[in-house]
Amino acid sequence: MATKEVKLPDIGEGVTEGEIVKWLVKAGDSVKADQPIAEVMTDKATVEVPSPVAGIVKELKAKEGDVVPIETTLLVLDAAAGGAVEKPVAATGGGVTKSKGFAVEKPAPAVAMAASPAQSSSIEIYPPAADSRVLATPATRRLAREMGVDVNVISGTGLAGRVTRDDVVKNKGGAGAVAAGAPSWAPVAPRMANSSTQPNAEERVPLRGIRRKIAEQMQMTKHIVPHFTIMDEANVSELVRLREQAKAAAEKSGAKITYLPFVMKALISTLREFPMFNASIDDQAGEIVYKKYYNIGFAADTPNGLLVPVIKHADQKTVLEISREIVELANKARDGKIGLEDMKGATITITNIGSVGGSYATPIINHPEVAIIGMYKIDWKPVYKTTEKIGEFVPTQVMNFSATCDHRLIDGAVAANFLKAFLRRIENIGQLVLDMM
Amino acid sequence: MSSTQSFDVCVIGAGPGGYVAAIRAAQLGKKTCVIEREYLGGVCLNVGCIPSKAMISAAHFLEKLRNDAPEMGIEIKTDGKSTAKPVDINVNMKKLVTWKQSVSERMASGVAQLLKGNGVTVIRGEAEFSSANELKVRTSGDGKSDIITVTAKNFVVATGSRPIEIPGFTIDEQKVLSSTGALALDEVPKRMVVIGGGYIGLEIGSYLRKLGSEVVVLEAGATLLNGVADRECVQVVERKLKKGGVQVMFNAKAKSYKKNGSQYEIEYESVGKIEKIKCDKILLTVGRRPNSDQTGLKKIGVLIDERGFIKVDAQRRTNLKHIFAIGDIAGQPMLAHKASHEGVLVAEVISGINRAYDVKTVPAVVFTDPEIASAGLLESECTSRGYTELMISKFPFAANGRAVSLMETDGFIKIIADKKTHVVLGVHMVGPEVSNLISEAALAIEMGARVEDLAFTIHPHPTLGEVMMEAAEATLGHAIHVIQKPLSRAETANGATVTRT
Repeated sequence: MATKEVKLPDIGEGVTEGEIVKWLVKAGDSVKADQPIAEVMTDKATVEVPSPVAGIVKELKAKEGDVVPIETTLLVLDAAAGGAVEKPVAATGGGVTKSKGFAVEKPAPAVAMAASPAQSSSIEIYPPAADSRVLATPATRRLAREMGVDVNVISGTGLAGRVTRDDVVKNKGGAGAVAAGAPSWAPVAPRMANSSTQPNAEERVPLRGIRRKIAEQMQMTKHIVPHFTIMDEANVSELVRLREQAKAAAEKSGAKITYLPFVMKALISTLREFPMFNASIDDQAGEIVYKKYYNIGFAADTPNGLLVPVIKHADQKTVLEISREIVELANKARDGKIGLEDMKGATITITNIGSVGGSYATPIINHPEVAIIGMYKIDWKPVYKTTEKIGEFVPTQVMNFSATCDHRLIDGAVAANFLKAFLRRIENIGQLVLDMM
Repeated sequence: MSSTQSFDVCVIGAGPGGYVAAIRAAQLGKKTCVIEREYLGGVCLNVGCIPSKAMISAAHFLEKLRNDAPEMGIEIKTDGKSTAKPVDINVNMKKLVTWKQSVSERMASGVAQLLKGNGVTVIRGEAEFSSANELKVRTSGDGKSDIITVTAKNFVVATGSRPIEIPGFTIDEQKVLSSTGALALDEVPKRMVVIGGGYIGLEIGSYLRKLGSEVVVLEAGATLLNGVADRECVQVVERKLKKGGVQVMFNAKAKSYKKNGSQYEIEYESVGKIEKIKCDKILLTVGRRPNSDQTGLKKIGVLIDERGFIKVDAQRRTNLKHIFAIGDIAGQPMLAHKASHEGVLVAEVISGINRAYDVKTVPAVVFTDPEIASAGLLESECTSRGYTELMISKFPFAANGRAVSLMETDGFIKIIADKKTHVVLGVHMVGPEVSNLISEAALAIEMGARVEDLAFTIHPHPTLGEVMMEAAEATLGHAIHVIQKPLSRAETANGATVTRT
């Protein structure tokens, strides 16, 4: 039987690595072609990696929780000669069975080496041996090992991604050094001391999967982006009426209309007026990238954590189309079925925390976007009638909005003008309809 | 009489892996012994790398004298007469073998001195594990046999490999020779059949041909040096073998041999037909197998894979935490320099230093004529590792002044780089002294060098090393000493990544 190495395939554009969230097979298992072998999480999506061929799993080459670059060997298969081999190598002798059991208990660490010795995996080696693709000189690799820094997870700052001596030194003792998988921008954090001496007073759970990605993304964004938030209240009486009418009209076609698509439309019109809100900073090139397309992300709360599905080209879609897409994407996100493609390429994000509660929040920008719009709960409030004499209150439906901005690109006064222009459309349906596409 | 000796580190096998491990362990303050059943320096120094290089040097010198010297105007006088074509040069094989032996002995005695100087205890004898923490050594010194017991906190298994035999051919070093027997021949066989066209067979076959044997190589596969060398490099060697009179039969599977008069007759199968060939000696070089069936390894539960290699991790630790394995017995490639690297590694790991095997390349050299050397990935390996766009270029030794002045212009250096980053992925060489040129390529790959780093480094003139620089320039499209298509300025500017059409 020929052995076949199953590698982590190129999962999507721009994806360079994935985290093994869960093995779906173990050593000794017989797998069919296209049978999923592992759940791998990339960026914010979890995908199932299929086996390209049928065979018997000989060895798992990575552990759950390992972050591995694409093209890394995930497992080794004894490719089934001619298709169906029902009886695997088991039961042929003590030696074979033993080595199988061994592999199940302690899968080999994911290390790629120039030579190919048989793996015994008796002891965890940390840091793992440098992958053959890592660009670091022999002396740098040794320095990293002596400092306990895993060169496989550092993104090198040198030419062509080279890991420099400085990169290693900067990662010493940092999250990048201790917890494999933490990226190089992670600041040096003090190690947590044991806070309780009582047994079972604490429970330790590995930081895995979507939670880890959220942690990384949020930490990176806060590290890079100077945030500020501006907030204001809008009279949404007209919007409420509009939505109610639309809701009734749409019910016939079975669609559910929320406020979000209208807010998106108001936002897109405002973005045309303020293009720097629909932009990114390319730090490498030192350039501002103005985007001429409008992909609107929306925060979705899922059992696994926050996900941000994207309505692509929302400017070219009707309110009805957007509503349907929101429902569809939100369901997929909740069920853990959402693909990476559905969460990529947002140009700005809206978080509708108000559907849960809270009058104001200061959200974190979805980097590399430069702003995030917050919308909060709708309340009845007594509002002074501005055209009449002071003292007369009118019961009014109001909603709070916030715009959190990247101060590198957006100044306070610009943000204030942006929010004013945005709320003008929210409050005044005539204005909203005028430049709606 | 029996005795027990205890050590921090016990190394089994004093080859290029074992003696290096022992010396480094001793340097790091460990009480160390090395057990050797045959020769200090192992196969490499005594019956492998070193003596074969001595024979190859002599044969190369002879050939230069025969073929090149007359053209250079060097005429050898015999009995006061000058001969323009000195074909009657005598090779005194006994003297040659004695000289070859002196080279090995000089190197091996150096190893003995180094071990002694570092305070390593050398135990001569055959070791076998009686338990996971104890060895019984049947000593063979001074003509009498004795059993001593050796215990140690850590063991390093460096017991190497031995030649593979095939059905119908048992190595007796008289009729059927391994490399060991071939190197000891003190007369040139009239006709030699080499079974197996790997590097050992080709190295020995080539020098024997130069020393006067008729040489026929029976290769079971369709190519020489299958899977280990760049195809284009091998083609250059194949051409030269043919020119030199070495006959190579492909797809020829040796079946059996029998005595026929004063000669031997080999039966081999070629494309379904049985053929016969006569010879005076048979050299069997179909590969080597790890000695993992010895030393009681299985008995104490050391895990061994289906190819016979001991299973080890990136620190060369076996499934038994205190036992390490290095060199040929611990996996491919079976090369002395890999064993030595691992020897240092395990000695340091045992001494509590964090080390792991993380080299990017184990360079390989084949001392054929011309030599082949390589570091990094073959083109096919680049593709299988997902490098979709490659820059590949070759520069010929024929355009190099030093090669022309050496009258050795066959061959080239080929560089393969990643088109996206220009990082050097593989370097493959065939030509004069490429065994000495490959280290620059290995360094480039370890350092993650880009082709520009090689191209923009001044290489001294006139040397063979300039070919490396020119090959790097050629990947960028602007080597000086070959004609390349002119490039636009954008393409040549500092090696900027611009896709060529």
